[in-house]
Amino acid sequence: MAKLPAIKIKDGKKYFFRFTLDQRIQHIVLFVTVIVLVLTGMPLKFHDMAWAAFVYKMLGGIRGAPIVHKVTGSVLLLLFAYHLVYLFYNIYKEELVPLKKAEGLSPLKVLKVLAAQPLVPNFKDAIDIRDLMKYLLFLTDKHPAPRKFSWKEKFDYWVPFWGILIIGLSGLIMWNKILATKLLPGYLINFSLIAHSDEALLAALFLFIWHWYNVHLSTSVFPMGTVFLTGYLSEGLMIEEHYEYYVEVMKKEGLEHEIRPPHGEHGHQARRKEDPPAAADTYNRREGDRTP
Amino acid sequence: MKDFIKRLYIIAWMGLAVLFMYIIWNVTFNHIIEEYATRQQATEIKQTREELKHKQEKSTFQKVILESEETVKLYLGYRVLEEKRIAGHFHHIDFSIGPDKRSYCITCHGDMPHDNLKEIRAFLNMHSFFINCQTCHVKLEKAKTRLTYKWYDRTTGDLVDSPVMEAAPGMYKAKIIPLEIVNGKYQRLDAKEKIEFANEYREREQTLTEAQKSRAKKLIHKRVSPQPHICEDCHQRENPLLPLRTLGYPEQRIDIILSTEVVGMIKKYTEFYMPRMLHPGERTKK
Amino acid sequence: MLSPSIRNLAISCAIFSLLIFVIPEDSHSADIGNCLLCHKYPGLSRVDEKGNLRLLYINEKTFNSSVHSRVKCEDCHTDIKKIPHDTAKKVDCLTECHITEPSTEKKFSHKEVQEYLDKSVHSIYDKKGGLKEYPEDMPTCKKCHDNPLFRPLSFFKGTRYGISEDSMSRCRVCHKKEEFIVKFYNHVTGRLHRIRNPQNIAETCARCHDNPDLVSKYGLSTKAVFSYGETFHGKAAKYLDERIPDCLDCHVNKGESVHQMLGHNDPRSSTYKKNKGKICSNVDCHPKASPKLAAYGMHAEFSLEQSPVQYFYTAFFIVLTGGTLLPLMGIIFLDLIRRLFPDAVIRRRKK
Repeated sequence: MAKLPAIKIKDGKKYFFRFTLDQRIQHIVLFVTVIVLVLTGMPLKFHDMAWAAFVYKMLGGIRGAPIVHKVTGSVLLLLFAYHLVYLFYNIYKEELVPLKKAEGLSPLKVLKVLAAQPLVPNFKDAIDIRDLMKYLLFLTDKHPAPRKFSWKEKFDYWVPFWGILIIGLSGLIMWNKILATKLLPGYLINFSLIAHSDEALLAALFLFIWHWYNVHLSTSVFPMGTVFLTGYLSEGLMIEEHYEYYVEVMKKEGLEHEIRPPHGEHGHQARRKEDPPAAADTYNRREGDRTP
Repeated sequence: MKDFIKRLYIIAWMGLAVLFMYIIWNVTFNHIIEEYATRQQATEIKQTREELKHKQEKSTFQKVILESEETVKLYLGYRVLEEKRIAGHFHHIDFSIGPDKRSYCITCHGDMPHDNLKEIRAFLNMHSFFINCQTCHVKLEKAKTRLTYKWYDRTTGDLVDSPVMEAAPGMYKAKIIPLEIVNGKYQRLDAKEKIEFANEYREREQTLTEAQKSRAKKLIHKRVSPQPHICEDCHQRENPLLPLRTLGYPEQRIDIILSTEVVGMIKKYTEFYMPRMLHPGERTKK
Repeated sequence: MLSPSIRNLAISCAIFSLLIFVIPEDSHSADIGNCLLCHKYPGLSRVDEKGNLRLLYINEKTFNSSVHSRVKCEDCHTDIKKIPHDTAKKVDCLTECHITEPSTEKKFSHKEVQEYLDKSVHSIYDKKGGLKEYPEDMPTCKKCHDNPLFRPLSFFKGTRYGISEDSMSRCRVCHKKEEFIVKFYNHVTGRLHRIRNPQNIAETCARCHDNPDLVSKYGLSTKAVFSYGETFHGKAAKYLDERIPDCLDCHVNKGESVHQMLGHNDPRSSTYKKNKGKICSNVDCHPKASPKLAAYGMHAEFSLEQSPVQYFYTAFFIVLTGGTLLPLMGIIFLDLIRRLFPDAVIRRRKK
């Protein structure tokens, strides 16, 4: 696939590259299957609620919905398998092969490469969370400046990742209970059921409240974030959510003189008053503060 | 304006966030607390195992009165039968028309007010299902005004057309009520003000002195005649009390109501039980 | 000397056969005594001395679609001989009624059910034959049964509920009495499946087995119907699946009367540890299942007493879920406040 430009300019506004087409399609398959799975699964967990019977009836009732659930679950598991292959193939091709050519491989080096992946949680996340808490508690006006993926996005990635593992495995056991209990005792199904339903609840609430709030419903992005469709993030959001990465990309693209000030502090006022010089000053001063 | 809407949106979301927290608490940690509470309750029941009678005395209003009735749904496949379940009741009810909401008497005396005359109380209650209390319990002896009889809707209280032809016997959504004609208009004996008076008495009963109480009761029951109409006042061929034809009964039904079967049975009852009925002094009023 | 008794016999035979033949003809067959003259009125009711509602109303239409529709009122309410009658006694279900069982031509009675019940875990007698400590807790007929209503099935090109007119048309070719055909059809097709659907069965058992007083009194390890309701079987029952096993399917050996139910400690019981596997893997359920499947905790509850392992396992997920989501909700809430006052901090700092 042709490499997409890091910055696209449309109507004089900058848009920053985030996701490849492949990733976007994976994401669409993911959320469609998850929504269907939640709709066909939750009415069973909350069978005593009034809405459950209604939702379940819409999705095929006790005869249809379980089939829908299993088919959709299988699609999600296939996606998961594809994602794993995609992930490790890319790491292998993009990072391990050049590294092998350059200096040879050792298990330690492979681990280091894996740990350096942009979605792996690291110390910077702890700093970002601390900064965020300071900001949210009105202790500072300085907005945290995450790198390529903020801790929120890492959460958004790892919760479903872990979820699919657990829910998928327990789901397979319950689906193939006859086969599973050829080897393993029956109470394994009890444990699978608990894991399946509780983990699903966690994932569903997490995605539909936390994830949707962050990417669609908060006032910065309302009514809808578009990055999951276009793959490109607007400059405003890039500044608000990934300032450190924003600066890095701008410098890389040779647009240093066009770097805008970070979100927060005078950000709101600066944008309102159309007062870039003052804001730029602030940015420079703060940058200066940060470097020892 | 845009800023204002944004603020409203944020505040609405704050409400949502609190709701979500409440929901999440309920579906997570609350389970642990509930499980603990159930265990505590179970130990408590075990402790009182020997004193079960004692426990029954402690039972709350909620448990004894409110939870004693449940609604059941029977899934018959081709239809769902929903009915009240009365513990130990074998036959299906499969019928419900809701309580009489516009009655002067029922608030205090209940839907099944006839309790004393063991032998005929069920019959009397059966009649009060479609005949308003006043029909029998108000007699105008030296009446200046005459009473007319009409049907009124159990739920709304409005006068309605005769339901007799539309439903099976005794299953009407309406009741027969006596009406006075005052200034050429129909008027209920229990006007809205009288109902309010009775309701206020109920609310304030505890604060009243004995004299006040008995005065209020006298006023509320002012028009109740000491001796009610008896069965034979209606169930007879010659000049029955209720104008069955005007009330919409077809000839066939009138025949049954006034038939030898019914009248004969009443006669048997009258012979055995009526003497007691005619001496209300023997009844103990609550 | 013999002649008067023979005459009596002849007369009673004549009356009896008359009754037999008269019953199916009359559409209000059960109501020979004209009981409905009064009992058709829904208001016919009173409150008894103990404060319980006594509803004396009979819904004729519903009664006629019940399994007892051919039994006369006075066959069960035997103490009522005349109208008007005194307060009726409670019905004894073991009374012989005037229905004859066609294969033996004996009078019908529920006595055998009582015999089964007396040998079951629900008997009022203990193993030595004495009365149990609290015999009043054990089920009697009417604690579980109300008047069973027919649930006819149509098998004519596919299965559905209700009477099949197509089948009926075939019945009518030979049998001329409509009343008889309908009842017979109802009886046979209604008996080919459960007279109550799984959810109604579960509700019936729940009246005792989910009653917290009784559960604690007898030290039962679970509220059985509640925990059943947490399994897929129970949930499907709640969504009115008819194919799903209810309490009776597992707690009685295949082919035995449900009144013969035994405790799980009884080696003859279907739920005895060694027999469980057979129940799960029976031909109608999971025929290929290994006996290990039966180790599934059908009545597992989130209860420290019942199973500490499962309790802590579940608690782990609860804490994981709540512990993840609640702080995140807190952050959303703080974020909202921050957005409501975006400039609040700056003014304070500038001073």
